[in-house]
Amino acid sequence: MNYLAELLASGLAVGAVYGLIAMSFAIIYKSTGLLNFAQGEMGMIIAYVAWSISTSVDGNPFIVALGSIGFAVLFALAVERIVIRPMMSEPILSQIMVTIGLSVIFRSAIILIWDGLPHNMAIASGNQLVDLGGVRVRAAQIAVLVALFAAIAGMWAFFRYSRFGVAMRAVASDDATAQLMGVSSGKVQMAAWAAAAVLSGVAGVLFAIAYELSPSLYALGLKAFPATILGGLDAVIGSAVGGLIIGVTENLVGGYISSGLKEVAGFVIIILILMVRPYGLFGEKRIERL
Amino acid sequence: MNYVKGLAAAALLALPAGMATADQGVTDTEILLGEVEPLTGPPGLLGVAHNLGVRLALAEVNAKGGIGGRQLRLIAEDDGYVTSRTIQSLRKLIGVDKVFALTSLSGSGQALASMPIIKQSGIPAMVPIGPLPPLYEPPSDNIFVVGQSYTEGMHQLALYLAKEYPGAKWGIILQDDDYGKSLGEGIEQAREEADINVVFETEYARGQKDFASEMLRVKDAGVEVLIAGGIISENIAMVKEAEKLGITPVIATFWPGRVPEVLKAIGPASDGIYGVDYVAPIQSEAGQAFLELARKYLTEDEVARVNRYTMTGYSSTRALIEAMKGCADDLTWACTIEKLETNPPIDTGVMDPIGFGPDNRFSNSGVTIMRADYETLSFAPVGE
Repeated sequence: MNYLAELLASGLAVGAVYGLIAMSFAIIYKSTGLLNFAQGEMGMIIAYVAWSISTSVDGNPFIVALGSIGFAVLFALAVERIVIRPMMSEPILSQIMVTIGLSVIFRSAIILIWDGLPHNMAIASGNQLVDLGGVRVRAAQIAVLVALFAAIAGMWAFFRYSRFGVAMRAVASDDATAQLMGVSSGKVQMAAWAAAAVLSGVAGVLFAIAYELSPSLYALGLKAFPATILGGLDAVIGSAVGGLIIGVTENLVGGYISSGLKEVAGFVIIILILMVRPYGLFGEKRIERL
Repeated sequence: MNYVKGLAAAALLALPAGMATADQGVTDTEILLGEVEPLTGPPGLLGVAHNLGVRLALAEVNAKGGIGGRQLRLIAEDDGYVTSRTIQSLRKLIGVDKVFALTSLSGSGQALASMPIIKQSGIPAMVPIGPLPPLYEPPSDNIFVVGQSYTEGMHQLALYLAKEYPGAKWGIILQDDDYGKSLGEGIEQAREEADINVVFETEYARGQKDFASEMLRVKDAGVEVLIAGGIISENIAMVKEAEKLGITPVIATFWPGRVPEVLKAIGPASDGIYGVDYVAPIQSEAGQAFLELARKYLTEDEVARVNRYTMTGYSSTRALIEAMKGCADDLTWACTIEKLETNPPIDTGVMDPIGFGPDNRFSNSGVTIMRADYETLSFAPVGE
């Protein structure tokens, strides 16, 4: 029983990391129709900035959080304004290629600005072990789950009750009509990019605290993207659930069947679910009127 | 694999005609050398350190007047550990830059894929990173491999652990590629010679970051000796998971991760981890003398990046330079290859002396079993 509980706990923790990044993919897609393939790399750069800040302020969690969130917002706004927005009228394939190009540049930037070495990210008590009824987890793993549920609640309230959230949904639904109604699609895009960067940054930082900070951190984005597909590309909260499903499935398969099947297990589930629900578990079925 | 072979074949066909000029890269004032290695991405940890070693060897000889009055210059190409980029870079170095010799062909897989180009061109090439048997068995005239095979290193490590921990339950976690296969072969060889009771064995996909389920199975199986067959990040994740689960098996890792940064990233749980290597620890007398030399020719930032790959890069390049020195009056590929073959072994102090022979293109370095000391962030030979 404890074995199962430990597998579930680890699966939920890593699934929460996937979930936060998956939400980032979905927020940008929902608001702009664009898939940002540099999302994992953006999370990695924010984690490195957080590490740089933490080493200069002796790991003070408040300064690290404020500094990292501030950087994430500015970084995302700069990318959106300088690189993405001028491309928005171009074919979608070109836009996607730009994000792939950005991902390569961001990966190289890590070596140019920092280094290729693994680092221990010591922020507050993030690395401390906590015993939850016989199941040992790191504090950062609890924090990432809390962050995911906070993000889910925040996003639900934002899209349902805030004027800006409703505006974002309007832009996602029909960009042209929303603009005629006075909604600024530019502002919506900026907000989406900033929110996505903060979420993926939180995921990157907490993963680095629990495990290690290294230039391979971007690979989390590759694991999170299938979670977005599973939850539904336009379903922000559904993507979070998709991340948890993939994290738990991977761990159960690795724990009970074989490590070799661990990496493919999530994709098998995606194929099965997409065969039944092509728009993902929580995605909206779009009706094309002719 | 077919894709890699296809790339290599295509690259071979595309080599410029007349490329194999024996004395290319040599002018009255300069000798041009080239190398390919990962300088970006996670494998940059080894590529950057190797590059420093080669530059150190060049700076040392240049400070003493070069070879026959010619200064040595290096062109380093970054392949990001991607084989297709290795092939492109080699074509550029040999055909466009026209370097005289090569000081690295990147990692083991990249070097294997490069062999047709290197053999056809005839350019002297040193292979100090990832020495795999197919690179030197059968020997190729112009390819010189330095170090020790992963298989033999793991063979020795497993034999040592079997003797030290008789009757222990073993767990083995390996990467599902050539690297993991080589380590697996080393363990198999040891199992034929010693009593090794493996109770858990698994492979993981390259790039995996979460090892929670693997380590839970290690715990469940009651493993007492664990072979953590990852490269760098994977081993960090495995040891941290063991710490999280509250288990304390004897953990053994392999030389790609034998760098201080790995111990620092793991934290106190890294204390006592076993390692194996054919290169002297940086804290040893030879390692300290090497650091002293590095401080003479490299910047402070660069010295901070020195690790075992700097030592192998330096030693291998020194062997090449000594051969070239012997041909200073008639610097040709044929002469350099002959000198590499016949020169007495070159001793740099940080690994076994490097030497080759008429039918031997592998300078075989003996391995040392080591243990990590977290307090000093270093590895020391066992028994010291």
